[in-house]
Amino acid sequence: MALKLYDYTLSGSCYKVRLLLGFLELTYTREQVDFYPGRRHKSLDFLAINPLGQLPVLEDGDLRLRDAQAILCHLANKYDKTGKWLPRDPATFGTVMMWLMFAGGEIMAASAARLHDLLGYDLDIAAARNSAHAAFRILDDHLALREIAGAQWIAGDHPTVADVACYPYVALAGDGGIGHEDYPALRNWLRVFRTIPHFDPMSGIPEFA
Amino acid sequence: MDRSLFRANARLEKARLAVVLGDVEAGRREMQQSQHDAAGARDCWIAVGLDAQIRPQSSHPVIVAGRELALWRGETGPAKVWDDQCPHRGMRLSFGFVRDGTLRCLYHGWGYGEDGRCVSIPAHPELAPPKTICAGAHAVATKYGIIWSNLSAARAATVPEIPAVTDWRPVRSLYIHRSAAVVLAGIAAFDYGAPAEPATPAADVYVVTLGAQTQLLLALQPVEANKTGVHIASSGVDATADRLALVRQMHSLRDAIEAGTGPSR
Ligand SMILES: N[C@@H](CCC(=O)N[C@@H](CS)C(=O)NCC(=O)O)C(=O)O
Ligand code: FES
Repeated sequence: MALKLYDYTLSGSCYKVRLLLGFLELTYTREQVDFYPGRRHKSLDFLAINPLGQLPVLEDGDLRLRDAQAILCHLANKYDKTGKWLPRDPATFGTVMMWLMFAGGEIMAASAARLHDLLGYDLDIAAARNSAHAAFRILDDHLALREIAGAQWIAGDHPTVADVACYPYVALAGDGGIGHEDYPALRNWLRVFRTIPHFDPMSGIPEFA
Repeated sequence: MDRSLFRANARLEKARLAVVLGDVEAGRREMQQSQHDAAGARDCWIAVGLDAQIRPQSSHPVIVAGRELALWRGETGPAKVWDDQCPHRGMRLSFGFVRDGTLRCLYHGWGYGEDGRCVSIPAHPELAPPKTICAGAHAVATKYGIIWSNLSAARAATVPEIPAVTDWRPVRSLYIHRSAAVVLAGIAAFDYGAPAEPATPAADVYVVTLGAQTQLLLALQPVEANKTGVHIASSGVDATADRLALVRQMHSLRDAIEAGTGPSR
């Protein structure tokens, strides 16, 4: 089945999808969309592909999907025979979904701050940074409790789509002027994430941190 | 906040600016001067993190009284506290990585040994780095599971003595958006759900005794005028369920102080 990712290299949301494609060792083609400065994601051609005018979009044969979180679930559901990346057991599934929604919701404030600082987007940068810090504190609190319980992933004993969806904008936060000083558990989780086999670093994420 | 630290910070800013403007030599001079100013900081030991949170081969950003520091650890051995600035071009060393017991700068890979001296310059492998190239290293001590640093040159003060208890275990580091004074008052006023006897064996250190078995050690780190770190260790809380409950309670302590439900500032 042919997989095709509409991609922009510097996009944290596209990076979510590239990460899982790598972890699952799937081959795919990349269609580079000139997000900046070309704004091709708002072109008529691209709006026909995603009416929201957003990246990423994944095509899997005849199926066309938008939203990084939805794409992660699709890939794990269809291609991960171990079931570990999208656990179905009732004790873990709900928690994974909760943090997955958090990644597509609250954590995206860090993406907004990054768009402001890197690409000059016109938005309330102080509000974006405050919201991102509030979200990071919630995840840091959760991961601190997980450490005490002897665990290192957001849910269960294996990284899941929730870890993959949260990782990019936490790791890239410095691009938006958001430091990691206040989040010791988050910092250690970032380090452990980089040890997942087939992890691929991205520009802006310190390679050896 | 400490005057000399403010001076040191202003120096660091000037150093960065000089480097940006292409005057690397001037940048290096400013940077050295900033290290001297910081050395004039108050002679006291400040908690900067929990030892267990600083894993082998990692480097972390820490801010003490507005000053950016890198807290890092080699493959083994105690943690180190350095100015968060590479002597080469000022890159933050907390972004660096650890290889063979040296902290390597992310930017051009200069490596620094445990004493702070530059030991390798990858672009010039044939060159023995001059002895004068040195990261700004500060005094460090590890006690009660907490990493303490003294940013002054005097270093006559000793790490606060906590009597009696020897089996401290790390609990949690909190970062509270309030001044150190408000945080101290909040720690004293908090409802721990048991009769609490707070004591301050040293400035910025609280010991809370809860009942017969349990003690909490809370050590403050002034971050900025309106932000304070609190590094917490416990004694007598060992079952995982109890430790989880304690961490949750400490999160509530933070939230209560920020909500101003204790004495306000
Ligand atoms: N909910 C989407 C949001 C993705 C997103 O924000 N993508 C950015 C690029 S990183 C984008 O296309 N922004 C353009 C826009 O929202 O108009 C997802 O999680 O995939
Ligand atoms: S700035 Fe650190 S090696 Fe160049």
